[in-house]
Amino acid sequence: MKTKYLLPVVCAAAALFAAGCSTPVNSVENAQKDGRRMMVSDQRVISDTGLNHRVGVVGVNTAMTAGGLLRVQVELLNETRSLHRFSYKFEWFDVNGMQVENILSASSTDQIEGRESKMITSIAPNPGCKDFRLKLISAD
Amino acid sequence: MKTKIIVPLVTAAAAALFTGCATDAHYVQTGDREQIVSLGQINIQDYANAANAAVKDLLASGALDRVANPPALVEVSKVINNTSQLVDQDLLTQKIGIALTQSGKAQIKLVDKLSKGYQQENEFMSDQKGTRLPDFTLSGKIIETVDRAGNTRRTTYSFQLALNDPKAGVQVWMSEKEIGKQGTRSSVGF
Repeated sequence: MKTKYLLPVVCAAAALFAAGCSTPVNSVENAQKDGRRMMVSDQRVISDTGLNHRVGVVGVNTAMTAGGLLRVQVELLNETRSLHRFSYKFEWFDVNGMQVENILSASSTDQIEGRESKMITSIAPNPGCKDFRLKLISAD
Repeated sequence: MKTKIIVPLVTAAAAALFTGCATDAHYVQTGDREQIVSLGQINIQDYANAANAAVKDLLASGALDRVANPPALVEVSKVINNTSQLVDQDLLTQKIGIALTQSGKAQIKLVDKLSKGYQQENEFMSDQKGTRLPDFTLSGKIIETVDRAGNTRRTTYSFQLALNDPKAGVQVWMSEKEIGKQGTRSSVGF
């Protein structure tokens, strides 16, 4: 008898909980693009497959500023229906592969809504930095 | 008999649990997983995030590249503190200054008394006005806004920065980074 009442209550609570956490995003954009992204081939190391599902890297594109600094833009996609918080940092390397550290390599926290596509960007600390690495870590 | 085995096991498990949760003093890195999210105040991570955003934006704007004699000479001006706490503006401006000088796009003008004395002495001895005036000044403002709903509090800090051309009397670059924190109490973690 108890199970009869308990089961619907638990189901309703679970549905409410899931609805509360679920924040999928709808979006619209122009189909004919004037801008053209210069995509670069990338190497990936996936240690956290769950994070890769929630904050997956779609692609990486770069551009140069007028002052000769490399700009990097990484497109992320949350394939789940829930908001996810994450932390990321860009590491920069000079022509000799030596890491250049300054405030542009500091960790930043961000969040991505369910099914949302989001861009994160960085800029090279100096014109000599041509290589980069993005590190992502789950914050939930 | 069972109790004989269970009691030591539970005790050992509890000891292991407490050891795991212990927070003995240890060194940490700014921005790591253990950072403290302090609700009512600006912490070191907030300064780092604000400086990161400002430098990224300023370098990408190309404003520093538009000077006759690069690298641009920048003088750090005042950052107005409109928050309820004491703010040392160097926590923000020094990070920006370091990144700008390392980029090779700017030099920071010295404004301390000793440097000014040397400059004046040099000008007097060489009989010429050799001191270069700054191409830009960097100024800013930090504003705090607080919203409350019951026990939940949201504090937002707006870091506003501007690069000013003092000769033309215009701001050639402006940026704002908002950092918001919400909760009922400060916590450890992102």
